[in-house]
Amino acid sequence: MLRKIKIDWAGLARIQPLEHPFPPPERIFPGIDEIDPQRFPDFLDEIGLVGMGGGGFPASQKLRAAAGAHTLVVNGIECEPGLTIDQSVLLHESLWVAAGAVAAAKAVGATRMVLAVKKDSTLLAELALRYGEFEIVAFSDRYPAGAEKLILEKLEGRRPPPGVRPYQLGYLVQNAVSLRAIGRALIDGIPVVERPLTLAMPSAGFHRNIIVPVGIEIRQVLEAYRLPYDPCIHFLAASGLMMGHEADPETAVEKTTLALLVLPRDAAWREERPCIRCGACNTACPLGLHPYALVERIRKGRTGGDPFRMQMTECFLCGVCSAVCPSDIPLVQQLERGKQCL
Amino acid sequence: MPMNAPFLRSGPRAASMAAWTLCALLVPCTAYSAIYHSPFVFKLLGYALAGSFAETLFALAVQRRRKLVCSGSALTAALLAASAPPATPFLPMLFAILVAVWGARLPWRGAALRFNAAMAGRFFLMLAYPAAVVAWGTAAPDTISTATPQELYRTDGFMLDWHTVLFGRVGGSWEGLYTLVPGSPGETWPLATLLLGGLLCRAGIVPWRTPLAFLLSFGIATACLGNNPLFNLFSAATVFTAVFIVTDPVSTPMGKGGQVAFGIVVGAANALIRNYTYYTEAVVYAVLLGNLLAPWLDHAAFALRGRQLGRRRPEQ
Repeated sequence: MLRKIKIDWAGLARIQPLEHPFPPPERIFPGIDEIDPQRFPDFLDEIGLVGMGGGGFPASQKLRAAAGAHTLVVNGIECEPGLTIDQSVLLHESLWVAAGAVAAAKAVGATRMVLAVKKDSTLLAELALRYGEFEIVAFSDRYPAGAEKLILEKLEGRRPPPGVRPYQLGYLVQNAVSLRAIGRALIDGIPVVERPLTLAMPSAGFHRNIIVPVGIEIRQVLEAYRLPYDPCIHFLAASGLMMGHEADPETAVEKTTLALLVLPRDAAWREERPCIRCGACNTACPLGLHPYALVERIRKGRTGGDPFRMQMTECFLCGVCSAVCPSDIPLVQQLERGKQCL
Repeated sequence: MPMNAPFLRSGPRAASMAAWTLCALLVPCTAYSAIYHSPFVFKLLGYALAGSFAETLFALAVQRRRKLVCSGSALTAALLAASAPPATPFLPMLFAILVAVWGARLPWRGAALRFNAAMAGRFFLMLAYPAAVVAWGTAAPDTISTATPQELYRTDGFMLDWHTVLFGRVGGSWEGLYTLVPGSPGETWPLATLLLGGLLCRAGIVPWRTPLAFLLSFGIATACLGNNPLFNLFSAATVFTAVFIVTDPVSTPMGKGGQVAFGIVVGAANALIRNYTYYTEAVVYAVLLGNLLAPWLDHAAFALRGRQLGRRRPEQ
């Protein structure tokens, strides 16, 4: 029952330039001389790198765990529909991304470097010019193609077992923006003080990829582009349409803010109605789970049992079940609660 | 109140799903009324309104809230009316609708075991008013008047060519004297109904696995029992059931595997009942039997998926 999630945003297909509305940061970090597998994770801690694909997991821990991995995967697949920031960074800041990827690969000892991107012929041709030493693998442009689990499924030929992290299979999956930050620190000596993000307001036909300083107030970003944001009719979604959250314009841009989207309030308003048991969530689940059966068990507190725990571990809260639910049941919020029962 | 992700929506909304199915059901019924000069479609709309009103009353009395448009109950009532002879008297039909809406549909909301409300109402109609359900046309000496050609097939082995039943009007030597149609108003145009079902599937309003599994299983089981599968598929209520009855979301399993299993069980049961008993259609019994199995099928599919995932986990 899942059709491709449609976004009627103008100008999404063409890849936009990356803009710098704010002054660049100063060079404050001396850089390093040699990439040493022991000291490199500490270097990542020093520059303050966390997973910039939205996860926010400290990169140093991930790198330590992945020591000895055979493959580095540069995740350039947009995690969320409607965002183009990963593509933009890959295209316009390829020097930093490539440098970061090579350094990370060297630090964990990976010999194979894979660039995972969306299926798009013009993008693939452009990337082939810039990333000669990478193996470019094209993925489906259907959400949620950018999940680590689904990337590994394509690379390995079968889906990894529930609860198994990529590093246990010898893969280090890093987001393109994280690698850009590594490259920026290595080449320019600038720590993670910038956040590339997509700033969009579909109702005004506005869609830009910009680089903003981390910690700046969201209000200032909106003002820099004079976006007609009105809190009565609009709301601010940080980090995307599917896995994002509502943000307050007074708060700051974080390292994990993938996007700032100004969306009409009434279009996103949902009121829960009783389940009609249509099974749309089951059919749509990219992992073949039974979301409503899980939610029923969570609501009744029947969270024991192997089938429940296996399915709950496998779920990565992509939100597709909530998006297709004809009764607007907040399934993914319940599943988040269920994750805590594990 | 904060907004909850995801902010995107995809697919149809619950309220419009029943309304669209009702629209699809109105197409063959309107055509029936137009071609055979019958006021049936107005009756159908009236019954649909009655069903909707019954739910409004129920919501007021039991749930203490106002609800004006109840497309789900309207659809239930309309399906019930379309699956019975057009000449069914008003009171039995009204009782059946009330049984369907108040007895089978609304009080069970949220329960795992649900019965198809239209079929439950029809079951009541068959038990309480058996004469009304088979009253079809006016029987005169030397003629046979039945709801579907199935009855003749069942008793006398009289069979029509399957392709003549596809288009609503059954051709043959009786033309000029009588008009033969292959079923109740909702079942009159199997080909058109199939097309409508395809459209509904494409719009994501009904699942495609259940009806496909039902039709295949029914056809294969009928063939195995030595009956003509094509004639049985296209006459009587088979296509109508596939498009409108087994696709009912509330009473069928939720998972993909469960839906296929449900279709297979209902199809096979229907073929078996038709072959071994004197019921010529038997959709009611087959569907209600399938409904009984649905919670168990869901549970089994859930456990099976868990076990599949567990098997992928490497041995520690």
